[in-house]
Amino acid sequence: MNIAVCCKSVPGLVTDLKVGSDGKSLQYQSQLLAINECDEYALEEALVLKKAHGGQVTVISMGGIKSQDVLYYALAKGADKAVRVDCDSHDPRIASTVLAAALKKLEFDLVLTGTQSRDTLGGQVGVAAASLLGLPFAYAVVGIEVRDEKTIIARKELGGGRYADLELQLPALLCVQTGIEPLTFVPPARRIRARQQPVRSFSVGELGLQTEPLAPKGYRILSVRPPERLHQAELLQGSAQEIAAALLTKIRESV
Amino acid sequence: MARAVLVLVEHAGGKVDSVTSQLLTAGRQLATQLNGGLVALVIGHQLDGVVGALKISGADKILRVDDPALASAAGEAQGQVIAQVARQIEPRFLLIGYSLVGMELTPAIATLLGINAFTNCVNVEMRDGAVTVTRPLFDGTQHAHIALDESAVIALQKGSFAPLEPSTKEAAVETVAIDSMNLPSRSQVLAIIEEPAGDVDIGKAEIIVSIGRGIGNEDKIPIVAELADALGGVLACSRPVVDVGWLPRERQVGASGKTVTPKVYLACGISGAIQHLTGMRDSHRIIAINKDPNAPIFGVAHIGVVGDLFEIVPALTKAAKEAKSLRD
Ligand SMILES: Cc1cc2nc3c(=O)[nH]c(=O)nc-3n(C[C@H](O)[C@H](O)[C@H](O)COP(=O)(O)OP(=O)(O)OC[C@H]3O[C@@H](n4cnc5c(N)ncnc54)[C@H](O)[C@@H]3O)c2cc1C
Ligand SMILES: Nc1ncnc2c1ncn2[C@@H]1O[C@H](COP(=O)(O)O)[C@@H](O)[C@H]1O
Repeated sequence: MNIAVCCKSVPGLVTDLKVGSDGKSLQYQSQLLAINECDEYALEEALVLKKAHGGQVTVISMGGIKSQDVLYYALAKGADKAVRVDCDSHDPRIASTVLAAALKKLEFDLVLTGTQSRDTLGGQVGVAAASLLGLPFAYAVVGIEVRDEKTIIARKELGGGRYADLELQLPALLCVQTGIEPLTFVPPARRIRARQQPVRSFSVGELGLQTEPLAPKGYRILSVRPPERLHQAELLQGSAQEIAAALLTKIRESV
Repeated sequence: MARAVLVLVEHAGGKVDSVTSQLLTAGRQLATQLNGGLVALVIGHQLDGVVGALKISGADKILRVDDPALASAAGEAQGQVIAQVARQIEPRFLLIGYSLVGMELTPAIATLLGINAFTNCVNVEMRDGAVTVTRPLFDGTQHAHIALDESAVIALQKGSFAPLEPSTKEAAVETVAIDSMNLPSRSQVLAIIEEPAGDVDIGKAEIIVSIGRGIGNEDKIPIVAELADALGGVLACSRPVVDVGWLPRERQVGASGKTVTPKVYLACGISGAIQHLTGMRDSHRIIAINKDPNAPIFGVAHIGVVGDLFEIVPALTKAAKEAKSLRD
């Protein structure tokens, strides 16, 4: 079974998140990009399925040259091939259009994505790409079982401790939830070696996409700023002992 | 003609989910400002009960798509049905709850309609003549305010709006037929499964001490477990703690875990992502300990401590133990 996994690179540890001078964008020093958390779980699941059923795992990321690191990381984990599409956009319509076009160039039975990117909290790109490709899909998948060459069973979350088991005909796209498999550790030596492996890169033009539909439209970002809070928490200050004493009083009044 | 605001009704087991009434509040405000109607769309099978409950929900009209093909339909077919109806109505906006159901359907509908979707929204309002949504970025420490110039799907977080007052007038119900023969059938729901109960029901606890990724290391969990014991409470957690296998799934609070309303919810090293807040925001007293003053958990906490949990928690455990030994 050939599996394509969409992995996004997102800022890693961000310690100095600030609103940009235009008031509409975010700036941070952290230049370290890391694999988006649920995408790593999606990759892990793809590797488990590959081990059981054979086939190849191709990772695909849309982003600037820095996102290449995430692809090397995926190769170090055990992916067979890596593809980068050179396009930097946070717009889910654009990302899904570009990824769908890139997926069309690949041979796959199953596409795995994560559920949500850490930076934009969008949760859209996986299902949107499935809809563009005309594939059946499921969101927040916590288990995948291969029934036969053409059918899989996916368990997805419904919320509140409820799940649904779905039967899907391949090819299909599943948005994988964190925790689906334990994450494996990648030794540093393997990560260094992986950097020797080739990463194919495409421009959006090479995917046959025009630049015009790849511009955000229909909305304007007015501002980005810390949340306005409807209600303000009472903030306790002082030494740890003073805070502990105050907290204990509050806890005891409440029960 | 002024265009309507369409609200997607969420329901399960014959009951309307409470998010629907909140969406109707948001929808009513928009509809009034846009001078259009407020239409509720419900899809599924055997919907008599659901439609009955919706009649006085405050919508102007109810569209009912009731078809056996929808009984076990998965996201692909559901999305197509909703998009089919939306194409007929051409609503200015489509409002959906940002639940697991909404998370799956929103991008499908928007893509089929070729319009934008804005997910995870905490507000939608008219601002300077433009419909504007507010949505979090980066773990919720920042909010983006976005003006919408075109039709869009807006997925709103649960709790963003109060429920709409029931109306005295019954809404008209219109049955919409769909072409169920041509619905995709490549994905089908086989069964609904309930999580088996664990050894502890955190839903019954009066005091919950909850840990998040801020705990950093499995070895540190006993530090907080000791506090839970000293307070006579139970230990719970956010999702990442379960995902790495440090605590069992039945201890997870949030959208995909349990909803809890204890007398005291003490969150230690939890940022307060919406999927977590959904499961605990109605607790009577919420106390948050977090290093980051911008952490969204402080937006729902009654009492906050901006600081290191490894300083505060042991001090609180000590104080609780001393107080207990004084009482004994
Ligand atoms: C479909 C879906 C369903 C989900 N369901 C759930 C769910 O049911 N429950 C749930 O919880 N999440 C759920 N999530 C995940 C959710 O989006 C967040 O990723 C998660 O809640 C974050 O957990 P956290 O706050 O523990 O971690 P983080 O967001 O990483 O926050 C850690 C916090 O710890 C603080 N911290 C670090 N060190 C210290 C210290 N020493 N002292 C004090 N503070 C410290 C940091 O400042 C930070 O705020 C779901 C996500 C999706 C997409
Ligand atoms: N630029 C990207 N490159 C690769 N995959 C992406 C990209 N953006 C989004 N995805 C995938 O889509 C999922 C949902 O992303 P989002 O809609 O941005 O929250 C992520 O978990 C990824 O698997």
